[in-house]
Amino acid sequence: MELMRLSELREGEKGIVVEVKGDLKTKLLTMGIVKGTEVKVVRNAPLKDPLEIEVRGYLLSLRRDEAEHVFVERR
Amino acid sequence: MKKAVVALAGNPNVGKSAIFNALTGAKQKLGNWPGVTVEKKEGICKYKDIEMHIVDLPGIYGLTASSIDEKIARDFILHNKPDLVVDIVDASNIERNLYLTLQLIEMDANIVIALNKVDLAESKGYKIDAKKLSEKLGLPVVPTVAIRNKGIEELKRAMYNAIKTKIKSSLRYNDKLESVISLIEQKVVEKRVLPEYPSRFVAIRLLEGDEEILRSANLQEEVIKQWILQRS
Repeated sequence: MELMRLSELREGEKGIVVEVKGDLKTKLLTMGIVKGTEVKVVRNAPLKDPLEIEVRGYLLSLRRDEAEHVFVERR
Repeated sequence: MKKAVVALAGNPNVGKSAIFNALTGAKQKLGNWPGVTVEKKEGICKYKDIEMHIVDLPGIYGLTASSIDEKIARDFILHNKPDLVVDIVDASNIERNLYLTLQLIEMDANIVIALNKVDLAESKGYKIDAKKLSEKLGLPVVPTVAIRNKGIEELKRAMYNAIKTKIKSSLRYNDKLESVISLIEQKVVEKRVLPEYPSRFVAIRLLEGDEEILRSANLQEEVIKQWILQRS
């Protein structure tokens, strides 16, 4: 397993959240993106911004710079 | 007739408006929250000898006051102290929704849970045991499908009973966490930190490093760390 940014995962790939950084940290934690949570990149918009992820059974759109602050281990 | 203030809280898109409409019917009043352009909906629901004044709070994921919507909801619950908070939980997205529920419990609110969209949850293959959930949380849980008006009478009855009896959840976290919470809570009570708020709520927010609470309590995060380190 390798450590990478959520924004670096490709469509269909899954990762386990290792750390959340940045201004949006509290917001993302509130929405269930906490350490140990599985996230899956469902699809990317053109230029990969925004991207849609699946977390805890729901879909969430994130801006690319937000996804860059979420560190994951690729599964 | 006795009056009671009831706040509706929940994540965005849980069917909060549908519940609001089902409860209040045509008797609604529309306005703004003071000072901000966030819509405020109020309505009345009469049940037996109680006139319930329903206030629709903005849709929020948590009560950390990180956005204006969250701040409105948090301030309303802490300052106006409604007689009851109806927490609307999307059954088809229950895990994320229950986070707000826990925060409401931490605020020492009198809570009834409307487990909405149970039909959607079922079609997604979820089997939710409302009774078990109610036991675990220590709160009344009423399954509803607000857009079909299902469960609304049961919800009204549960709201009425909760206003009369004021049940408080005694849900607690694991022992390790609780020992730190009670340590900080002791300090909060001793030093009279924000005495107008529930002490457990203040303690948990301080532990979390909540900027707004730290600021209004005039405390630094370092001080909280010291409190915890001093223990041994």
